[in-house]
Amino acid sequence: MEKRGLFLLAALPILAFTLAAHLFYGFRPAEIPGLIAAFLHFEAQSYEEAVLLFQRVPRSLTAIYVGSISATSGVVLQSLVRNPLASPATMGVNAGAAMFLVAGALLFNIGTGLQGAAALAGALAGFLSCVAVARFAGRQNDPRGLSLILSGALVSMLFTGITNALLLSDPARRSDFLSWVIGNINHAYIDRLAMFWWIGAASIAAFIVLARPLTLILFGAEKAASAGVNVPLVSRAAILAAVLGSGSAVAVCGPIGFVGLVVPHIVRPFVGNNLVFALPAAFATGAVICLLADLVARQALHPYVLSTGLVTDLLGGIVFVVIVKRFYLSPSNRETA
Amino acid sequence: MIRRGTAMDGKRVLRLSNGLQMRIGNLRAGAGFAVAAVLLAAISTGLGLTNTGFFDLLSALSGDPLSGAEGYALWTVRLPRILLGFMVGWAVALSGALLQSIARNPLADPGLFGFSQGSMTMIMLLLIVAPAAPKSLVVLAAVAGGLCVAGLLLWLVGGERSSGLSIVLMGIAIETVLSSFGSLLILYLPTETSIALSEWLAGSLFQANWTMITAFIPLFVLSLAGILLVGPAMATFDLGTEMAMALGEPVARSRPVILVFAVVLSAAAVTAVGPLVFLGVLAPHIAGFISPAIARARLFLSGLVGGILVVAADAVTRSLAGGLPLPLGLSLTMIGVPLFIIALRLQALRKQQSR
Repeated sequence: MEKRGLFLLAALPILAFTLAAHLFYGFRPAEIPGLIAAFLHFEAQSYEEAVLLFQRVPRSLTAIYVGSISATSGVVLQSLVRNPLASPATMGVNAGAAMFLVAGALLFNIGTGLQGAAALAGALAGFLSCVAVARFAGRQNDPRGLSLILSGALVSMLFTGITNALLLSDPARRSDFLSWVIGNINHAYIDRLAMFWWIGAASIAAFIVLARPLTLILFGAEKAASAGVNVPLVSRAAILAAVLGSGSAVAVCGPIGFVGLVVPHIVRPFVGNNLVFALPAAFATGAVICLLADLVARQALHPYVLSTGLVTDLLGGIVFVVIVKRFYLSPSNRETA
Repeated sequence: MIRRGTAMDGKRVLRLSNGLQMRIGNLRAGAGFAVAAVLLAAISTGLGLTNTGFFDLLSALSGDPLSGAEGYALWTVRLPRILLGFMVGWAVALSGALLQSIARNPLADPGLFGFSQGSMTMIMLLLIVAPAAPKSLVVLAAVAGGLCVAGLLLWLVGGERSSGLSIVLMGIAIETVLSSFGSLLILYLPTETSIALSEWLAGSLFQANWTMITAFIPLFVLSLAGILLVGPAMATFDLGTEMAMALGEPVARSRPVILVFAVVLSAAAVTAVGPLVFLGVLAPHIAGFISPAIARARLFLSGLVGGILVVAADAVTRSLAGGLPLPLGLSLTMIGVPLFIIALRLQALRKQQSR
């Protein structure tokens, strides 16, 4: 259990360090003390201070929000669905939220607040259609949940296709959403964050409350029930919180994929399956990864600024390949086709 | 001499004097598909903003010159799209049918397995290194990219045991990585190339023209010859590797050759119109549903259905979407996903019954 303690102890300093790197990378070292002072009066007196306060800080906050929500939702989904590939991005949640939001904005001209509601509804719709397709098309003997992930991929493809078609149908407003739809952390989306942050906070609060019963469910539904856990209620509440939280993250800055898939796999070897410890660890790790991805997106191809979603897709896709290889294709636990 | 007869399984066949026999059902289906393709093409020439159609085309062929706008709509826009669409659909469907036999996986598809994406990535790399590369080099790059992904997939999945859903999942994963890598590469391209590319990335027939068609015709003819050559081997591959070997099929030699053939077909389609996902898995399934066939007949029918699907998708987008420039790849995805899910369902049911 030493590993767990070390990981949790190290998580906060690492998060602080990454945050500092994200905020101050690119400034000259001599300027930094003066810039820190800018936080105190919170008023930009120079170009550098304006960049820090009105670009870097909003980006950092958005990255932390998206990263932590996706990562904790990923942990919860992977535990409940019992599938190492489950995550908001792989189960159609992100694509559904994006489609509903774009459809609402382009077809019904709804404002930002209602767009958030549309994203939440879309997240639920995406998740439900993923499960429905898996039920409809799945094999009887599918102990590893392969068809669930496959139907998630199919549902995502369909929803992303519809989103793109909708965007093409309205060339004038297409450019508003073009970078959003790939998943882009941008200082311009801080208004959306200010409007939707409470949804994510509520779902994380729900995770904290449910952490212990969820861990009991991990031992088996019967055992949890005998320990006094209302298994169906707890599972449904947790999944609902995970789906809605990720929906709100999509509403803020578009579908940032794969953080929710990758982080649980980083956290688990250190912290174990107990959600009481895994959730805080995932919170910090997700935030760190999103900050790093955003830093890479911003600086790697200077002067171009990439979409953060691209960076996470690239890294996450590789991890996805590795997980499929290890989990479904290693000789010991090969799928019984 | 052609004689009518009955095959071992009780199906009606035609026997040619050299011993070749063809099922009458398959012949009828093939003729039906061909008629359907021609009819569809005739209807499709009449769809669009300019009011002209098949009869104008006929009168033009018999010597009546067309007016400027009508001639432009027919000769420069609609006919190239229909012809190129048919040939591309044929190539992708054929590639899918070949892959399904050698991988023994009914869900094999050059798009889903990431071959098309691999071809595209390689083409983009080539265009970055040498923006003025000749067309032949582009095609070579496309083939090389497809082969690289095929090799990667085989290495990751482990050669022989490539059946089941996990290879599809792996293919989708590779496709995701490559497509985000491709979006990175676009940044490095010169501006005018990158704008043309982003249309092509979505898979579209907008740029179809007669030069493209003349470049594609040799491959189309070659694919016909290829069907005649590899068709009989396909029937043995469907029975499994061991059975194919027992029947005298040189598997170790012929499997790589067929894989390369499939990759070349898909790469050519990618070079012409960009990636088309799901077509390679849909067309053979639909063909098999209408008229079950094996060997050469299966390949022919799959190719025909693939061509029909693309021409139909193009016609539908042109008539329904009005002025909306919906790329072909997108409409195929939107039709393809539901049908693919149904195919999965049918496969699951069949598995249940056989148990």
